[in-house]
Amino acid sequence: MNIGNRKNIATINEYETRLSDLYEEYYDKIARYVYVHISNKEEAEDIAGEVFLKALESLKSYREQGVPMQGWLFRIAHNLTVDYLRKMNKRRTVPIDSVVLQGNDNPANTAEKNIEFERVAKAMKKLTTEQREVINLRFFGGLTSKEVGGVLGKSDGAVREMQRAAIEKLRGIMGVER
Amino acid sequence: MTEDFDRILDECIDRINHGDNLADCLSDYPAYSEKLKPLLQSMHDVQKTYTFTPSADTKRAARQKFHTALGKRRQMTPVLSFFKVIPRPVVWATAAVLVLAIVGTLVIRPILNPPTLVPSPDGNFAFLISDEPNDIGDFESLNVTISRVGLQAAGSVRRLEFTPETKTVDLTQLQGEQSQEIWRGNAPAGQYSQVYIYVSEVKGKLESTGQIVDVKLPSSKLRISMPFEVTVDTVTSFTFDITVVATGNNGKYILKPQIGNSGARQEQKLLE
Repeated sequence: MNIGNRKNIATINEYETRLSDLYEEYYDKIARYVYVHISNKEEAEDIAGEVFLKALESLKSYREQGVPMQGWLFRIAHNLTVDYLRKMNKRRTVPIDSVVLQGNDNPANTAEKNIEFERVAKAMKKLTTEQREVINLRFFGGLTSKEVGGVLGKSDGAVREMQRAAIEKLRGIMGVER
Repeated sequence: MTEDFDRILDECIDRINHGDNLADCLSDYPAYSEKLKPLLQSMHDVQKTYTFTPSADTKRAARQKFHTALGKRRQMTPVLSFFKVIPRPVVWATAAVLVLAIVGTLVIRPILNPPTLVPSPDGNFAFLISDEPNDIGDFESLNVTISRVGLQAAGSVRRLEFTPETKTVDLTQLQGEQSQEIWRGNAPAGQYSQVYIYVSEVKGKLESTGQIVDVKLPSSKLRISMPFEVTVDTVTSFTFDITVVATGNNGKYILKPQIGNSGARQEQKLLE
């Protein structure tokens, strides 16, 4: 076995270990990220599991430069989410208006949560696709602006600007509807 | 001005994501608090609406599936043929070292439970400091004195600490790819979830005026939550990236950890 092959194996082993380490920290975050897109918790959890399997299959194509591994996982999550939405209804927008949250709370609390969910979901829908992605990756993925920039191919300054504009827009919409 | 605000908002979002509360962030930026508060409140509303805890059963099943797939992959990877090229005495010696290390880790260490790690030039853990360039260009020198470094074991309350061998680093010399090792020694093998450093002093000298300026810390320690593994047969080098950011046009600066550029790397000793 030549040195190059040994190094490749060592690198892949290292990536496998790192991916395994990221599982505990990022499974929940990825599930939430997907949930924002599809508004279905069970499906979001399944997709989060798929993300790690897909990452494992594609580990050879992962290159360290540019995007850290956690950012790469969110790229995979994004692709799987798009596939899921396509399968569901050829890019049909999820009918947020019809989403009903279920819970063990009493009916009054559940109704209140549904109203709040609808208010926030409607505001999120009014953001541009990129703004929504920035908010999703920052608020639910826990990525830094620089990492988000790596995922979206933007500078961290551009991400910060989009982030501020997106939150101001959300504030405006949610404030009006409150 | 907008760019400054964007940075401050961004920093507050990072801090809240890492467990700080909104009030602390607002109190650090009184000039911006009126503008920051409604935006951070909106962030809170959005996070609260979508945050849920995935079902433990589903997560467990997915984890099991992942580890099964990982196990299958590792069986298929020619790791064994890699060991075949190593002379047998080396394998036995490595195995003996591993056994001793495992005995040391599992039996002796928990009994002694050393609170402070001991430095060693041949150790399996190295700790480095680096600086992501943000506003470091404003400084002629920015000396940061680190009194202690701590490692948090994953899934346990156990913490280990060590005192850096090099206590003071000048961040102006550690920009971008540059880094400085401040400690090397032996750390118990295992999974770790967090690294924190206690900064006892920060002295910044401005490039433009030569004036010594106040550089604040967001809290008593700088903390990075990031899972990593320390093993006995590799050297794990953890780089803790710090960045300095101006907090507006008031001549004040803040020092904060930069999670994106921090992390652990492992060097395979056997390959050398």
